[in-house]
Formats: sequence, C-alpha cells, structure tokens
Amino acid sequence: MAQAATGRSHRVRHVPQLDLLPVMNLFCVIIPFLLLSASFLEITVIEMSPTEGISAGAGTTSLARSEEQLLQPKVIITNNEMFLGTVFGTKHVSYVLLQDHDGEIIPTYDFDALSEALGDFRKELNVAFPTIPVNKIIILTVDDIRYDNIISTIDICIDHEFNQPGLQVAAHSVLQRQITDGAAGGE
Amino acid sequence: MSSPPTKRHLPLLLGYKKSKALLRGKDKKVQLNLTALIDMFTILVVFLLKSYSAEGQLVTLSDVLTLPESRAQQNVELFLEIVVTSSVIVVDGDPIVYVDESVLTEGNPIPALVERLSDHLEYTRLVRGITDEKEMKVNIQGDVAVQAILLQRVMSSCAMAGYATQNRTVINVEGDEE
Repeated sequence: MAQAATGRSHRVRHVPQLDLLPVMNLFCVIIPFLLLSASFLEITVIEMSPTEGISAGAGTTSLARSEEQLLQPKVIITNNEMFLGTVFGTKHVSYVLLQDHDGEIIPTYDFDALSEALGDFRKELNVAFPTIPVNKIIILTVDDIRYDNIISTIDICIDHEFNQPGLQVAAHSVLQRQITDGAAGGE
Repeated sequence: MSSPPTKRHLPLLLGYKKSKALLRGKDKKVQLNLTALIDMFTILVVFLLKSYSAEGQLVTLSDVLTLPESRAQQNVELFLEIVVTSSVIVVDGDPIVYVDESVLTEGNPIPALVERLSDHLEYTRLVRGITDEKEMKVNIQGDVAVQAILLQRVMSSCAMAGYATQNRTVINVEGDEE
C-alpha cells in the first residue's frame, strides 16, 4: 500500500450521513397510535323556530290560526309520561324509562313508540287532509326535561317530515290541562 | 501546547479542539436523506387534513360540555356561539349568566343575556353597516343535562335580542344506529 509523505497510511474517508431510520421507525409507531386514539366528531345543527313559553294562567293565544296551525301536533313530555296530541285526540306514547349511564340514572322515553305513533298520525293526516302540508310540530315539556331527550324527540319528528320543531315549556298543571282538553292546534 | 480560548476566539469555540480527521473531511458535501422525512410529513398532512375536514369550519367545544347526539345532517356554520351548561351561559367565550335557582324559576328572557346579545347585534350593525339574515343567527351549544326551562329561556332571550334563527349544535351519529 502506498504511503503518504508523512509516513502515515491513507484512511478510507466516509461521507457523513444522517441516519434517519430510527426516527422514521419511531414515527411509524407513533402515527398509527395517534390515528387510533383520535376520535373524529362531525358537528351538525338542528334549526328550531323560536317559540314562546306557556304561562301557567294562559294556554291559548288569540291569534287567528291557519289550517296548518290547527292540525299542528304536539309531543307532550312530562316527568312520567310522553303523549302525542293531535287533531284526532291525545294518545299516550310511553312511560319514562330509567337508564343507567356510567352510574348515573338518566330518565329517557321509548322513542320507537313515538316514531310509530307519529308514523300513524302522518298516515291519518295524509288521508284526512291530503292538501294541507303539516311540517310544524311543538315539543311541549315540563321545566326539567333533559336536553338530550328533547333532541331525540326532534330527531324522530324530523324522520316523519315534521321538520319545523318548536319548543314550549310549561308547568305540569298546564300540561295536564293540554292532555285532558286535547292538545293539537299550536296553542 | 494549546492555550485556553480567548474572548476573540469565543465565537469559534465550536470548532476548537476538533479532531484533525474531521477537519480534513470538511470539504466533503454532507448529504441529508430526506426521503423518510417527506414520507412522514405526507402521512401527517393527510392526518391533519382528515381531522380538520369539517366543511372548512372548526367548532371549538368547551371541556365541560357534552353535546347531545342526533341524526341531523345540516352542516354547522360559524355564527355567534352560545354555550349553555347547567352552571353557566357563555356568549362568544364570555360567561354572562351563572345558573342558579332563580334562573330556573323566573320568567322567560334573561335580561343580562338579552343585553349582551343586543350589544353584539348592535356592534355587528356598526361594523358592517347593515345586518343581513346571516348575522341574525346563533348556534346554541347545550349540554345534554341542561333543563328544558333553561334552554327555553335562552331561546326567548335570543328571539328578544333579534336573533331569529337559533341552531342547536349536536354531534352527528349515523342514521343506521337506531
């Protein structure tokens, strides 16, 4: 082997390279982990028409009402029961169901029964009043009904083309009067 | 024998006492292998695009808020945000009303909330000169446990302040999960 003038032997000189392979391996582990642990939520909205609450003494408004308003159904939710008030009469839909959710007892209702009742009402409406479009519905509740129950009720209403829901909150006594007197008509 | 670095040499301290072998190789070009880095960033970009693909809109949800689930399909748009929880009503990030027993028992609109919403609408009117239908909408983010009376009072307050359209923000669940 040829020797340099200094007497030292030549060394093979490597071009220094950064070894990114361990970093890449690390990220190959981290990225699937992040993808698995991430949860993607799609946020949507429900448009609701602003409605007035019912005072304990009132219960009626003196406005001239259209045919649609007269046929407008009401879902009446009390702490114990759910009713559907229509032009054909008020019908019991469901009793309250208590569900255990992470150790917390949460009241809910039988929304399948509500769906069935609204479906029947829609059919009757199409037969009896085929020319009048009825898209409005009122959710009439007592003070302390949970928001998730209201949203679930609205979902069912929208399924049956009652896509303009409104919310009214009233005292229990007012609701009882609505149930006994017949609740349809958008009061 | 090498002397300790003086102040004049200080900026060159990194090069001080470098081995001669390294100094000999300094004229060589260092090549960085960027392929792995580009691969990684490609994956990251796809991941970020996926996570921010809510029709170009980002909705910031409060930690104390659990939105109800719904099958509603209407996409969210950015309007004035009202967060309603069992303890506080927040408008555009500012806590306006702390919920106590009186809030849950008294009459319809909440005066403090009406005032705040009216101010916001007036400010929008002054800044833009005109208020169209789009500015008169609010998104209400309600916690699942909020009582109907509180929600109804917030809705009444919005209506009184001039916000005609009130959207309820919900978490979309697939329709076949019934």
